[in-house]
Amino acid sequence: MTVKTIATPPRTRPARTLAVIGAGAAALAGAVLLSLVLGSKPTTPLEVWRVLTGDADGFTATVVESRYPRTVLGIVAGAALALSGTLMQGVTRNPLADPGLLGVNAGAAAAVVTATAVLGPTSVTATVWWALPGAVLAGLTAHAVGSRGGDGGMVRLVLAGAVVSAVLTAYVQALGLTFPDVFDSYRHWVVGSLAGRDFDVVVSVLPVVAAGTALGLAVSGGLNALALGEEAAVATGANTAWVRSGGLLAATVLAAGATAAAGPIAFVGLAVPHVVRALVGVDFRAQVPFALLAGPTLLLVADVVARTIVRPTELMVGVVTAFVGAPVLLYAVRRMRETT
Amino acid sequence: MRPALSTRRASAAEPATAPDRAASGQRVLRLGRAVALPVHPRSLLVAAVLLVLLAAAAAATLSLGRLGVPLTRLPTVVAGGGEATETFVLDRLRGPRLAVAAGTGAALGLAGALFQSVTRNPLGSPDVIGLGAGAGAGAAIAALVLPGIVPVPLGALGGAALAMVIVATATGTGLRHPGRLIIAGIGVAAMAHAVSEFVVSVMARDQASVLHSYLYGSLGARSWEHAAVIWGVLVLAVPLVLLIAGAVAVNEMGDELADALGGRARSTRTAAISLSVVLTAAAVSVAGPIAFVALTAPQIARRTTGAPGPNLAVAAVVGALLLVLADLAVQQSPIGNGLPVGLFTLGFGGVYLGYLLIREWRRGKL
Repeated sequence: MTVKTIATPPRTRPARTLAVIGAGAAALAGAVLLSLVLGSKPTTPLEVWRVLTGDADGFTATVVESRYPRTVLGIVAGAALALSGTLMQGVTRNPLADPGLLGVNAGAAAAVVTATAVLGPTSVTATVWWALPGAVLAGLTAHAVGSRGGDGGMVRLVLAGAVVSAVLTAYVQALGLTFPDVFDSYRHWVVGSLAGRDFDVVVSVLPVVAAGTALGLAVSGGLNALALGEEAAVATGANTAWVRSGGLLAATVLAAGATAAAGPIAFVGLAVPHVVRALVGVDFRAQVPFALLAGPTLLLVADVVARTIVRPTELMVGVVTAFVGAPVLLYAVRRMRETT
Repeated sequence: MRPALSTRRASAAEPATAPDRAASGQRVLRLGRAVALPVHPRSLLVAAVLLVLLAAAAAATLSLGRLGVPLTRLPTVVAGGGEATETFVLDRLRGPRLAVAAGTGAALGLAGALFQSVTRNPLGSPDVIGLGAGAGAGAAIAALVLPGIVPVPLGALGGAALAMVIVATATGTGLRHPGRLIIAGIGVAAMAHAVSEFVVSVMARDQASVLHSYLYGSLGARSWEHAAVIWGVLVLAVPLVLLIAGAVAVNEMGDELADALGGRARSTRTAAISLSVVLTAAAVSVAGPIAFVALTAPQIARRTTGAPGPNLAVAAVVGALLLVLADLAVQQSPIGNGLPVGLFTLGFGGVYLGYLLIREWRRGKL
């Protein structure tokens, strides 16, 4: 019993947390509505309601229904990226950790592009299974480089990730330009986009994302103990090895799944945990569910911006998230302690 | 730390014999009492070898491949006596491209050497901290959104300067802390990339080649006007760089010591960074944000010469050689395959950056 009291953060405010999570759910519902209403051909919420209840004209129905897959994909990918970032920042105790910054997304992209170049266009289901080992390999490489020569500081991991990302990005772009016809359908995927995806894509990554989410939820309580530091966490009786490896595995699997479906989208995993911490505090048992709501909200709103800002064409959603997320990185750098 | 001290000691001890030997294998060339020019023999040798290599790479660039002008014909064609196709290849295709590659490489090498020297940090180089990406975004805006209103080099300069200011502000500690500097640079580069992609997708409707030249840098389809811009800026900037070169070398010893020796640390740093920003912007405006030449060239220069100080001249030659070689690989090697040269330097330079990081960590400098 004592163990539990220590592992629980001193100030828990369940009422406030519930209210914030309720607000998060409302925001997500609003984002879903926006995603269905806005696009190259704007519709009204009333029309969307008619389509949902089945009494709209064929044209409007087609327009709105064409937005279903990307909305669902936005929810799945946003939740996966946000949870991945939350877990990574929790496990590494590093507010700069993000699957995009650590090269995990680029690794998944490189593996998928390689498979496509060697084997020709593959099915979406196969894409996921290529993305996973690529993500794991890139994450391990960044970690190996970042922890050379002493204990890995905050900065080192990010720098190592930047190196891995730079090299893999060059590789992905070079392959894409070398085999233009093979990669025609991948051109937008390479930057990160929710457009032009079928439900097949969502269905094929759903098991991976669900498994990652389950694992993430399982370790989220242990992250509270980990936040106290290695010695204190062990003293509370937490199984730090399990929490750490389970958390990193879940983070990698989630990032790989999201990347396989939507391409390497950066900064969602970085920005969401910072927003979440500011709103619900440091308790990971509140952070994780809230991140699962905030991630999809951010990604869907970014996607709506991406498809309306340059009408009639579309921007890739990765461009918008970079613009929203990079300032969070700058903010996090400013807040770093002088010693790091 | 050696150049100023050793020259001084040499001049105090032995008045008029020339050339005399100072502490670090450095000689001082004297003309009477008025001129005392420190000379580092190994640097001169290295520079000579690099220039020969550069000439060889240039000759290969002009003569290899299906359209290449054979080596034996090169002098004739350069003198104006070639056939129409040969003249076309030299005057319109390969010639300007080579001139832009060499000029851009030299500018990047020089910019990197200045920046790394005043931040006292091999990673504090304009491409690592997001200046190149910022200049690329500025160039994209000037070229595509405001064509004819704002000259592209001016747009690039604005972008680079803005990126510089954002990075310096975001770190909260100016340019002192290498780790923060680079992470802020990653953020600024990501935002600048987003701006470039936005501008290109609005104005150029997703043309992959246009996008790549603004995001990664390319030397495809360059003209003599591009060459004139970069070499013009070099001609203007090099005398200014020479003016502050001595103070920059002294500055590497740290602010207090530099001030004590008359190096005026702050104003030297401001001048060096301004020149570096201008050179980066010029390079980006003609070739796009080509990655990691500014990072690697000064490092290679330091290692090959073994001389203290920023090694500005050798860094410029190394930069030119690196970019000409990279462009040669892109044009003629099977894996190059006509890719934008910036992707090539990004991939190989990234590997080098990884090596550099590990080395710095081992020494506990970062």
